[in-house]
Amino acid sequence: MLTPNERERYDRQIMIEEIGQEGQEKLKRSRVAIAGAGGLGSPIAIYLTVAGIGMIRMIDHDQVTLSNLNRQILHWEEDIGRKKVDSARAKLRNLNREVKIEGIAETITESNVSQLVDGCDVIVDAMDNIPTRYILNRCAIEKQIPFFHGAVNGFEGRVMTILPGKTACLRCLYRGPVPQEKFPVIGVTPAVVGSIQATEVIKYLVGMGKLLTNRLLIYDGLQVTFSEFTINKNPNCDHCGSPVGKG
Amino acid sequence: MAVKVHIHTTHRQFTNGSEVVEVKGNTVGECLNQLIKEFPGMEKALFAKKDKLHNIVEVYLSHVSAYPDELVKPVKDGDEIHLVVMLAGG
Repeated sequence: MLTPNERERYDRQIMIEEIGQEGQEKLKRSRVAIAGAGGLGSPIAIYLTVAGIGMIRMIDHDQVTLSNLNRQILHWEEDIGRKKVDSARAKLRNLNREVKIEGIAETITESNVSQLVDGCDVIVDAMDNIPTRYILNRCAIEKQIPFFHGAVNGFEGRVMTILPGKTACLRCLYRGPVPQEKFPVIGVTPAVVGSIQATEVIKYLVGMGKLLTNRLLIYDGLQVTFSEFTINKNPNCDHCGSPVGKG
Repeated sequence: MAVKVHIHTTHRQFTNGSEVVEVKGNTVGECLNQLIKEFPGMEKALFAKKDKLHNIVEVYLSHVSAYPDELVKPVKDGDEIHLVVMLAGG
């Protein structure tokens, strides 16, 4: 049940036919894990917080540095040196005290990932590297938790939504390891991509619209184009394929 | 078969800035070979070794992933190939 205060706070989105009071209550009952409190994690967390998600768990082992501030809008100059999850929690709490914000300052590994996302209804990918994305992808499939992928570089970004057991996963196109490099980026790119990821999460939790499943959306900020590509589930995928394929 | 190849932003330095290059071929591999013939710099951008694409390069044929065995996929007149690069940042 929504409180009178919540009904007033969320009035404009409750007015959206597809959300309504019932959808708002679904958001309130939802628990979201956001892996990464950086460039993507910032807009994702902000928009999910103001939308009225019940609980948001931010996971990030890092501390705020000056070079983060061109894009990681949850963190301010006064936060330099502070744990990102502490900085994020302080801002998000001031945005919406109805939302429970958890912060876990740990590195995501194969051995702790299951525990880190335990009890969450969705996992949002806001990572800055591909190996950790694969760790999250495998965990999401094993625990049957929807996984919302996003990534950026420069003015370009991509988004895909993964429903374990039903749709293509992040690993379905895997060809081998990729080099880890410092990536260029300007803040407006994760702002766009993270906002789309947050939109996908809201749609999924409320149960409306058409998700970006089996569809890779690529955003090109320089040309201002959105291109869509079909990704087919790979039966031989070592994460989501058949047990034979996993061999 | 006449096919349009869409070049990724980071590769346009090798195509004199061209965003789209028209090539001819019967398979994705033949089309990429012709692209490389015209723009030799694309070879290192796309391939780790002969017939082995870099792990970060994704190939889409008429907006559908051509993975796996991208290079042997047949193409038809009017098809489009998008060369895309996997992104890692967040």
